[in-house]
Amino acid sequence: MRAFPYQRLPGVVSLRVTSVELRGPDDIRDPLDTSAFSAIEQVVAPGSTGRDDWEWLRMKVSATVPGRATAPDSPWTDLAVVVVLSEGATNTRISTALTPGAENGRKWEGQLDLWRADHLDRATMSVHVVATVDGVAGREIAASAKDWIIDLKAEAPLRERELEVVEVGFREGPQWLRRFQEVPWAVDTSGDLPVVHINKDFEGVSDLVGGNGTSVDNMVRDLLIAQMCTDVWTAVFHTAIGDLEIEDDGTPLFPRDWRGEVLREMLPDVVPDLPVEDALSEVHRRRTGTSGWTDLQPRIHYAATRRGDVPKALSATIRGLDSIHRGADA
Amino acid sequence: MTDKPNFLPERLALLADLNAAQYLTEGLLSGKEDAPAIALNKTTEPLPHDGESRAELAPVRDLIDDAMYQFRDDRPTNADAWLAPRLHATLRLTRREAADRRIWNYLALGVAPDYVVWRHMVAKSEDGASKVAVRRFQGPAYTQAFARLWWAAELFRDGPDYAPVVTVCGIQDMLNTGLRIDMVDHRPTAQAMVRLMDRGTVRTGREVNALVAAINASAATLMYDVIAPDAERDGRPLREWIEAAESAPAVPRRDLPIGPYEEKVPERSVDVLAVHFAALFAEAPVRGRPGADEEAGGEV
Repeated sequence: MRAFPYQRLPGVVSLRVTSVELRGPDDIRDPLDTSAFSAIEQVVAPGSTGRDDWEWLRMKVSATVPGRATAPDSPWTDLAVVVVLSEGATNTRISTALTPGAENGRKWEGQLDLWRADHLDRATMSVHVVATVDGVAGREIAASAKDWIIDLKAEAPLRERELEVVEVGFREGPQWLRRFQEVPWAVDTSGDLPVVHINKDFEGVSDLVGGNGTSVDNMVRDLLIAQMCTDVWTAVFHTAIGDLEIEDDGTPLFPRDWRGEVLREMLPDVVPDLPVEDALSEVHRRRTGTSGWTDLQPRIHYAATRRGDVPKALSATIRGLDSIHRGADA
Repeated sequence: MTDKPNFLPERLALLADLNAAQYLTEGLLSGKEDAPAIALNKTTEPLPHDGESRAELAPVRDLIDDAMYQFRDDRPTNADAWLAPRLHATLRLTRREAADRRIWNYLALGVAPDYVVWRHMVAKSEDGASKVAVRRFQGPAYTQAFARLWWAAELFRDGPDYAPVVTVCGIQDMLNTGLRIDMVDHRPTAQAMVRLMDRGTVRTGREVNALVAAINASAATLMYDVIAPDAERDGRPLREWIEAAESAPAVPRRDLPIGPYEEKVPERSVDVLAVHFAALFAEAPVRGRPGADEEAGGEV
């Protein structure tokens, strides 16, 4: 828990996107269907419309602030509620001040425009309550706990990311893949997002992975996908941990793109019982220091396997095989 | 020394990290070999805006040639302030396009490996062997030779005015740490920092680092977006500026180029933050004696 030298506002501050409208260069105005943004997932996915000609989008947002913020005897004055949208990958940060609406100052409303050319992948949006406290203006006294995500790459408003899978023949494909022509898949973690390349030259693998066949086919498929996901999680973890930015005092920083997300997600399994910041320092120390990196490998493997859903897929396969054998025996 | 590529295609392109990696040989990094231009260009992908004038390679190469010529007898670090705004105004990229590391890989390996070696070669202390760090060719935006210049220009320009970029590039620590901190994404914060440099309040690398640390600490509890609001973001001027690239002449070599006609940062917001930062800096601990290391600080 952080300590603040001034009084903060207790309670929950929440943010909600109430409508989204796509705007194009020829003044097209296209309100997004509610299926394109999800209040539960807290994700906006303009890609779900299938439209690609929009230039910017306007979001109407509303925030709910604890009533105590505007109570006459509160220690806060000049109350402001601002929504901040940012994306580390493009160094973009925009904000908008909301205006108090109904419900005795508990509900604040406003709008925010996002320009597509300013963003690459996922922008996050949060709400902050700001006030003058003890004569100091601009103090943040509360903020939303869970960000909204504006996902420019997804086709559905889901928080969890789907793996990007590309089918390509390795023999004739991109230069770096040619050396891997005998393997069924390869993971590329160098870009904006990790990508799994499935080798079309490996006969049958595309059909197996993409197909929906007999129950045995599907069991093998699920197992294969679990294995693939494990590979991906392992690869992304190593990529993320291997390319850290280090402060002058030796403290490693969380990367600002997906690499940071991966680390925050996996570190609790790799170094349990430590806050993620400390876990990051610990893993970095072990990797770059003289000892401790080898000991960590089983834990990295554990974290990746769990996320790849290997236990689930494997036990389903074993049970499935059992029942097939029983059927064959009978 | 690494030479200009012996083959330059007409258009700029994208070079994926995995393809770039194979050209980052010891020979190239120590400035003894060239990048194999023809082979390298076989592994590239076209830019999304391949058909537009801003995808032409020659204007970029000419600009880099001019930078190396103009600063041939000077410290190569001094070329940053000259090149950053001009590179920005020549490429005319959106942030979305600039966030794609592949274009920077291509500039460093396919267009001007000789520049990267010339600018970023550092002498090793132990055995005297000089080398360029890999991250100058391929790496995050705050270290890659061209990405750092482009982003410095993008984050520190005041609308169409590139003058603040020149100030920032004048202190290497500002360029190096400035690009790594989230706060400069807020334009009034970036401009207020520039103002302190223009006024001479902060001059050395150590002073810049002390200022950045103080602002960082202060930003943990203060919302600069509220005490120093920015103008509303409007993407149209940028789009028009990019479209105007079709008929734009080469960037001026003597005068500063003119950037997109975006609204300037509100003067009042810069005033408020400049006062605040000056107060923070007055109380910040500065390593060593102020003014002791006027040179480019921790340049690597």
